Amino acid sequence: MPKPTDDERDDLLAGPVPNPDDEPTAAERAHAKTFAELVDKTLSGRTPPAMTTDDRALIEVATVIRAASGNVELAQPRRRALIEDALRQAVGARAFGTSGTMTAVRGIRSLRRAWAPWSVAGASLAVAAAAVVLWLRTPPPRVIVEPTGVATLPETERSRPADAVVGPIAHERAGDAATRIDAIFADRLDGYRELRFGRTP
Amino acid sequence: MAAEPADAVELEEEQRLVEAAQAGNLDAMRPLLDRYAQPLYGTVILPRLGDAASAEDVLRDTLATAVEKIGRFTWQGKSIYPWLRQIAINKVYDVHRQSKRSRRLADAMANEVPVETDPESHADAQLIADQERRAHRERIDETLDQLADRYRRAIELRLVQELPREVCARRMNVAIGTFDVLLFRAVRAFRKQFGDDDA
Repeated sequence: MPKPTDDERDDLLAGPVPNPDDEPTAAERAHAKTFAELVDKTLSGRTPPAMTTDDRALIEVATVIRAASGNVELAQPRRRALIEDALRQAVGARAFGTSGTMTAVRGIRSLRRAWAPWSVAGASLAVAAAAVVLWLRTPPPRVIVEPTGVATLPETERSRPADAVVGPIAHERAGDAATRIDAIFADRLDGYRELRFGRTP
Repeated sequence: MAAEPADAVELEEEQRLVEAAQAGNLDAMRPLLDRYAQPLYGTVILPRLGDAASAEDVLRDTLATAVEKIGRFTWQGKSIYPWLRQIAINKVYDVHRQSKRSRRLADAMANEVPVETDPESHADAQLIADQERRAHRERIDETLDQLADRYRRAIELRLVQELPREVCARRMNVAIGTFDVLLFRAVRAFRKQFGDDDA
């Protein structure tokens, strides 16, 4: 079914309402049936969460009429659940606890407030003492292990400075890094080719 | 169902619970909230919102705010209900302010009923809730009286008496599909009339 345009929506909510005896169009019959089903669900406490803006506006009207007639009650279990939610929301789930009692919540809070500065001061003192102890402690003798058996590599497989390739950099060419990079790359590429292809039998 | 009349004994009990809550025993709030949740929902919040889910959210927020701010409540020898009602109305206004949708009808209802409870009044919760319900009902009846007879009849049968569609159709001597169209048009006409009256 195509969605109504804004004009059609305005027409439904604010436009003229046909007289009771006017013949309905097929579209109006279909919309009326949808609305009737929504009313059915609302009356049985199962109002769908999703509906068109128009239908929601009309269902709100129906609900206001019902509420003013004293027909809408909050079921006892739902009421209890909302009250418990509200109490939790107000004092926080942690203070409320799982037992459902909130007796002397304020007393618990006062107790926490009284102990808070002493707890912070105590923790700070402990950290400071630990730092002093660590600072004063004599470090253990360090054992230096001399490296043995270092493998020696041929020069071709070791890193080597690029100074020989680039040479001294003149002040006026300091910004021309691209040329120097190209030179180093060409040199390394030559070395690779020589290593890779020059030794082939 | 409204709150029971708050006689002297009940007011005394209510005062005791309020003072206990203010002293830190928030358990004492539970019977008070249980007592006034329904009148707040059915008489104050839902008629101004028209949406059950939103009304439940507002009720929960209202009760939570009451618990949080019970320390600020000053006992003046009358029920705590007017104070709770004012919190609820403020929450309803917050919802209207935040809502992008048109809520012409609910706004009209909100403006129709006085929102400020007379601070000098010692009316109890029952009386206030009854007055408010009567005011809502009169407003609805005035609007219904301006509708075509068949529209008024359709609304009364389906939304006030809450009879099944089939029964409503039989009472009006029409097919169910025709009754659906009548109710649909009736609610549209009601909404339009209600908003026009307010304007």
